[in-house]
Amino acid sequence: MIPEIGHLLLIGALVLTFIGGSLPFYDLVLKKSFSQNYIRSLSILISLLVAVSFTCLIYSFLVDDFSVIYVATNSNTALPSYYKFAAAWGAHEGSLVLWILCLSLWLLGYLFSKDSVNDHFSSITFAVMNQVIFAFILFTLFTSNPFERLLPFSPVQGGDLNPSLQDFAFTIHPPLLYLGYSGLALPFSLAIAAMVTKNIDSLWARTARPWSLLSCTFLTLGIGLGSWWAYYELGWGGWWFWDPVENAAFVPWLISIALFHSLIATEKRGVFKNWSLLLSILSFAASLLGTFLVRSGVLTSVHAFALDPERGLFILWIFSYFIFGALFIYIFNNTKTQVESTYSLRSIEFGFLLNNLLLVVLAISIMFGTIFPLLYEAYTNGKQVSVGPPYFNFLILPFAIGLGLLQGIGLFLGWSDTKDFKFFPRIIIEALTILIVINILLYFLFGSFNTGSLIACFIFAWIVSGNLLDVFIKKRTFNKIKSFLNFRLGAVFAHLGIAFLVLGVGVVSTYSSEKELILSVGDSYDLDSYVFEFEEMTFKQGPNYIADVANLKIKEDGRLIKLSSEKRNYLSTNQVTTEAGIVADLFKDYYVAVGENIQGDTWSFRLQVKPFVRWIWFGALLVAIGTLISSIKHLRKGI
Amino acid sequence: MRKLIHIAPLLMFVVLVLALFSFLQRDVDQLNSVLIDKNFPQFSLTKLENEDVVLTKNDISDFPAIVNVWATWCITCRVEHPFLLKLKEKSEVQIYGLNYKDDRQKALSLLAREGNPFKFSIYDKDGLLAIDLGVYGAPETFLINADGIIKARHVGALTPDIWDQKFLIHLQ
Repeated sequence: MIPEIGHLLLIGALVLTFIGGSLPFYDLVLKKSFSQNYIRSLSILISLLVAVSFTCLIYSFLVDDFSVIYVATNSNTALPSYYKFAAAWGAHEGSLVLWILCLSLWLLGYLFSKDSVNDHFSSITFAVMNQVIFAFILFTLFTSNPFERLLPFSPVQGGDLNPSLQDFAFTIHPPLLYLGYSGLALPFSLAIAAMVTKNIDSLWARTARPWSLLSCTFLTLGIGLGSWWAYYELGWGGWWFWDPVENAAFVPWLISIALFHSLIATEKRGVFKNWSLLLSILSFAASLLGTFLVRSGVLTSVHAFALDPERGLFILWIFSYFIFGALFIYIFNNTKTQVESTYSLRSIEFGFLLNNLLLVVLAISIMFGTIFPLLYEAYTNGKQVSVGPPYFNFLILPFAIGLGLLQGIGLFLGWSDTKDFKFFPRIIIEALTILIVINILLYFLFGSFNTGSLIACFIFAWIVSGNLLDVFIKKRTFNKIKSFLNFRLGAVFAHLGIAFLVLGVGVVSTYSSEKELILSVGDSYDLDSYVFEFEEMTFKQGPNYIADVANLKIKEDGRLIKLSSEKRNYLSTNQVTTEAGIVADLFKDYYVAVGENIQGDTWSFRLQVKPFVRWIWFGALLVAIGTLISSIKHLRKGI
Repeated sequence: MRKLIHIAPLLMFVVLVLALFSFLQRDVDQLNSVLIDKNFPQFSLTKLENEDVVLTKNDISDFPAIVNVWATWCITCRVEHPFLLKLKEKSEVQIYGLNYKDDRQKALSLLAREGNPFKFSIYDKDGLLAIDLGVYGAPETFLINADGIIKARHVGALTPDIWDQKFLIHLQ
């Protein structure tokens, strides 16, 4: 009964979003504008229907209703309740309902924010958002209905939630990522509304800015958590794999960053209007394309949820409808008036322009590298080409350097021209000082000097001095610093986050040590100055798995660290996963993953010492906090 | 010139979308390529119904036939089960089962409860034959024509539509 209610509510939401999506047309036909009076109540109703429908799905999981196919395939009675709850979005069908819920919440958030006034602009935004929600509900109901029943022979026991997804970080990773992905629909809708109502002005830019910032917050958190999860769950000790699905989230992230920077220039100076429009469309396109790549099953990766060309086709239609529609509107409704404001090569406008160029070219190159192997395979009859990490690592380096350099000086540049360049030598001196200090520190920590991480350390030093240190030195009084931080707190946080991220990436990829080897109980291995000793193998019985647990000791300068890594076997599906043993301190992680059983007490191991790896996620967290602060600030101010 | 710049993004998206569409069209057939037009691979495994009987390739001798990969833990297999039963009644085609990574008792009791469409099932507890067949998971179905050659493969539940479109053409 409950699943049927959920199903019906979703159909109800489908009907309502259809009505909502065509509201402005009624206005047009009836030559009255009455739709604005209904958009708020309608969107409350839609959110409510979807939310209750999603609750029905969660309920079916909690009570083990295995007559529902989706529940039966992704949950069983032995699964702990918390994971039953999270299993509701653990696979394709349920995650779509969550996606729809996120979309409707974004719309609700916009309509009840200070930015939304009762006008034509709001109702067009409402209509576009409704069309997006409508398309996704249609997709869910026709190709991936989570409420479908299996009657009359329903199983008494279900399958299992993908074991590697039975993990705390991974239960909140999808919702955060979806909030980010779906949030990009809002700047998209706002851009359409701006074009249709011919309000391509700073008011529009100001409205769109906090929402693109907020999407970026959630994308950052989602990607960061995903990376952290991959690090400790997949057992390879890597934190980023240039996996196509990671790229599918990384690309919208880059474009959303380009977007809110460009929106600043549009808001303050009225420049880059068409560019901001295009970026709004592009960011949503990237988010849809990401969805396509993940959901169509054209990719084989750890994330591949479904092998179903029909779904891919459906998403491609959705993609075509929205993006072609938007670009058509763009061709006829872009701003044709030439902007009179001029800016010099030393202005912040030009800085934003460079920032945008770098970000967008990087995003497109990554997207190209992700899709190219697919297309190559399609046009050469199955010949395969692999575009792997070397391509992406090589690609990203110059862009990271360029963006890093810009970030260091960005806050000092002025609109239309920068009169005073005195900050420049100061930053260089400060950056060099920090650089030397860091390298001395690294030398003491790891006993060696590594030129490979020099660039990363310099970028870190550069951004830190440009965003924080120089301000403190220059503006000596507390009040001046306070007013600066009041004004720029979000930007400072986010930029420092990038600095820590870059430093983490630089150090971990040059100072790490790693060894794959075979150890018997009692053996020890000397990895650089750290002695790993394989103490014993124990057995552990979990709620829905059994595990072999390898216990190790690590000795370093008289310190003794114990850690254990598990090889889990999930009984209902016979899947085997590795739980890495990780002990972390501020500067490095000890990482042990147990591999195959060679014979008796002999197992294969992967031992790693990863310095500064935590700083990557700390950086991502700072970026999320920074964008959140900025977003809230602008939302509270209103327009 | 300015106009051209405004149309450029649209043109780029047209190219991208066309490329993706064409890729999807191809993708459907791609899974099939491994064993098509080859003989059924050699194997030596016990019979599900009787663990003392060892089956080999020669036991799959009545053609045309389908070999259906199934398991009790596989939910989609339950979905296609009624269709297999119907197929057994209506069609000349022999149906062999490949019981995949399963428990013998559970498998037998399921067949007793819901009906047995298979002439017999090969008991592949460790998925050895499944590896040779390149099986992705259950359910999967292979079609062997009258000459004993594998002609088609389907991943996912077998439905009347798929039977008509994908399998029947190889039997006429």
